[in-house]
Amino acid sequence: MVKAVGLIVTFDPEVMQVSGRSLAIAATSCSITALICLPLGSLIHFSSFRGKRLLINIVQTLYSIPTVAVGLFVFVLFSRAGPLGGLDIMFTPTVMVIGQIFLVTPVMLGLTISALQGVDKSISETALSLGASRIQAAVLTLKHARYAVLTSVIMGFGRAVSEVGLALMVGGNIKGFTRTLTTAISLESSKGDIELSLALGMILILIALVINLSLNRLQQR
Amino acid sequence: MALIETIDLGQKHGQGYTLKGVNLQVEAGDVLALIGPTGAGKTTLLRLLDLLEKPASGRILFDGIDATTAKKQRLEIRRRMSFVQQKPVVFDMSVFDNVACGLKWRHRESESTKQEVAEVLELVGLADYSRRNAKTLSGGEAQRVAIARALVVKPEVLLLDEPTANLDPVSTTKTEEVLAHIIAERKTTIIMATHDMSQGQYLASKIGVLMNGQLLQAGTPDEIFSSPLSKEVAEFVGVENILSGKITEKDGDLATIEVDGATVQAVSDYTTGDRVYILIRPEDVILTPNRDTTSARNTFKGSIVKTAPVGPLMRIKVDCGFPLLAVVTKRSAQELGLAAGKEVFASFKATAIHTIRKQ
Amino acid sequence: MKKLFSILAIFSLLVIALLPGCTTASGSDPLKPQERLQIATTTSLYDTGLWGYLEPMFEEKYDVEVDVLYAGTGIAIEYGKRGDVDVITVHSKSRELAYVEEGYGVERVPFAYNYFLIVGPESDPAGIKDMTPEDAFKKLLESGAGTFVSRGDDSGTHSKEKAIWAGAGYEYTDVQGAGDWYVEGGKGMGPTLLMASEMEGYTLTDMGTFLSYKGDIDLVPIVDEGSILLNVYSVIAGNPETNSGISAEMAQNMVDFLVSDEIQELIGEYGVEVYGMQLFTPCTGNEPTS
Repeated sequence: MVKAVGLIVTFDPEVMQVSGRSLAIAATSCSITALICLPLGSLIHFSSFRGKRLLINIVQTLYSIPTVAVGLFVFVLFSRAGPLGGLDIMFTPTVMVIGQIFLVTPVMLGLTISALQGVDKSISETALSLGASRIQAAVLTLKHARYAVLTSVIMGFGRAVSEVGLALMVGGNIKGFTRTLTTAISLESSKGDIELSLALGMILILIALVINLSLNRLQQR
Repeated sequence: MALIETIDLGQKHGQGYTLKGVNLQVEAGDVLALIGPTGAGKTTLLRLLDLLEKPASGRILFDGIDATTAKKQRLEIRRRMSFVQQKPVVFDMSVFDNVACGLKWRHRESESTKQEVAEVLELVGLADYSRRNAKTLSGGEAQRVAIARALVVKPEVLLLDEPTANLDPVSTTKTEEVLAHIIAERKTTIIMATHDMSQGQYLASKIGVLMNGQLLQAGTPDEIFSSPLSKEVAEFVGVENILSGKITEKDGDLATIEVDGATVQAVSDYTTGDRVYILIRPEDVILTPNRDTTSARNTFKGSIVKTAPVGPLMRIKVDCGFPLLAVVTKRSAQELGLAAGKEVFASFKATAIHTIRKQ
Repeated sequence: MKKLFSILAIFSLLVIALLPGCTTASGSDPLKPQERLQIATTTSLYDTGLWGYLEPMFEEKYDVEVDVLYAGTGIAIEYGKRGDVDVITVHSKSRELAYVEEGYGVERVPFAYNYFLIVGPESDPAGIKDMTPEDAFKKLLESGAGTFVSRGDDSGTHSKEKAIWAGAGYEYTDVQGAGDWYVEGGKGMGPTLLMASEMEGYTLTDMGTFLSYKGDIDLVPIVDEGSILLNVYSVIAGNPETNSGISAEMAQNMVDFLVSDEIQELIGEYGVEVYGMQLFTPCTGNEPTS
């Protein structure tokens, strides 16, 4: 136990590299997903079309899709033997980012739509009546839902950084390249290096704690 | 050419029609008050004019352009207008930012924005509120922010939906002052929905009466209040003496009408035998203690049933064999000693009567 | 709005700053696009630390990033067939031959060998010490007196285990249903040893992994003699004609590297100082028969 803390406090390079990678991959995938989901969520929320409710239901059902299922899907898609194999990105951080985008999109999209639904319709209507274009009115509505939207991004990040099934399947857990906090824990603990596993576990819990605290503060607003 | 013209405009919400066959013409510079009871379709009409909804039938022409079909130009046309809604909706930001929104969306922000916003805030009396978050304002203050927000973009057309309906009397007066000021100074075309008749009369150059989704009558205030075209319009605009009768004689312009056993003489366009309503405004009913002090053709003896004060006036209900409502100043009422049970003579001129033929 | 913008900007800068540091091993130039060689390896070569030992040497010699995927023979062969890895190092002769025959691999090149052994608790509850592998398995099944932890993961070791059961005259499906004493762990070699130790049971392991885990487990050799226990490791470069994305040249370099005199000698010496005996015996491309 003491050794585990020691590994963290002395910035053990293996521990630092693996933690940094987890954060970087999750941050990248979540930023990209946010750039997709905010406009897409606005589009869905403000449009009316047949099957809108069904679509939202499907999105919400995908919130807790098992990560290994997404992992398998992404693996089959990007394997060199698969349809997108020409991209040659299997077992690299790139495919992990892409996989996480698939994983996190339902959560961020669904919660963004909920956030927008929480803003009174009169806001966008008033904006339109004052000469705003549809896009300008959507931006105003997003602004009014900013705390809820930020919450959705953070929840997406939480899911991304703590998942292991996808990262293992498409990343390959390659030391120095695609090993993340979660895949390292799964490897090291099964190999018996308890000290390292504990250190990594503590960092993961620390990250989860920070995420939770930020969510709490946001929800109070 | 009229600035705004609607041709056979109709709208549906759910199963029922909220507007039917509305034909309206608004010239540039007009101040049009749309009056009518709640649910008459005033809000629907305003929303259609602001191109917020597509009509179920009919067309809207803005400056000659068919706004109902011209998809690309809808936003452009809408940006030449401004809308103040009945319930003030302010955005979660400072008052300054709220007001500047319209300029921002029209890409008209510049160094002069600060000054333009300040000017308009001064106009509505909120100059010191610039930095405050708009959500912290009272209803009356929020409505004034909404007006400032609508004015700062210097719209060609200003649409207002019962702007003082949710305000206290002081805010109402202030708002009416602001509106009167803009009307005088800016020559903006204004279309305002209200159910307050006196507000309409006070501010408007033109009045449109909407009832059950139909535009029953449009014209100058005088035309509407003195010569309502139908019983419904008359009732709504506050003509409170509506009596049923039949023309028995006609001599030139003058008609003799039999009403409830009494005979009334009125100036009318109709002919002998026509069944009519006769309309008398309460203000036109003169009350005197004895017969000979009036020169009116129609004089009836009656007794006062009830008196009720309304502001600076007294409403007096008289029974002359038929009910008659008169309105006099409190002073006059006092001087004449008008009280329930007292005997009076009620009279009104032939020219003060407006007749409508019964359908 | 501006605040949100600056937060996103700082975020992206952080990401850009961290990413290179995490994608390249220390020392290499982060600007030059790195050539990568992907190898899927059987777990025993990894758990013994042999790959950790050899990898940096190869990387330095050929200026390439080597990605070693911890797999298990079955998975490694699957990756190889899909062309997701350039080289596989496994230990299941029959499947290796089929792999090359079907056109997925260039050539089967054995480069090292050791022996399997059955290990178990010192108390030897099933009483199978020093029997032949086939007889030991027979007794285990008939007495049900000891727990056996199987790899259960289609690995080379698992193939060997199945071969022994077949040698003892059993259908593997019967073994699987034989009772609770037969545990299919589904793990790599190292983790399986840990599990067997935990459960005080027997398992089939290769010598190399057993030696490198000796300090962490309470298991001792129970059966270590028998020709069926021969364990040959081969390296197979992927065939570029079947999977065009393969780095054929670098894959061949890896094969040449593993059978080179210098590396063969290092493989033979690996672990001797620490464990007192060889973990792997080099076989210079020639396969031993017993």
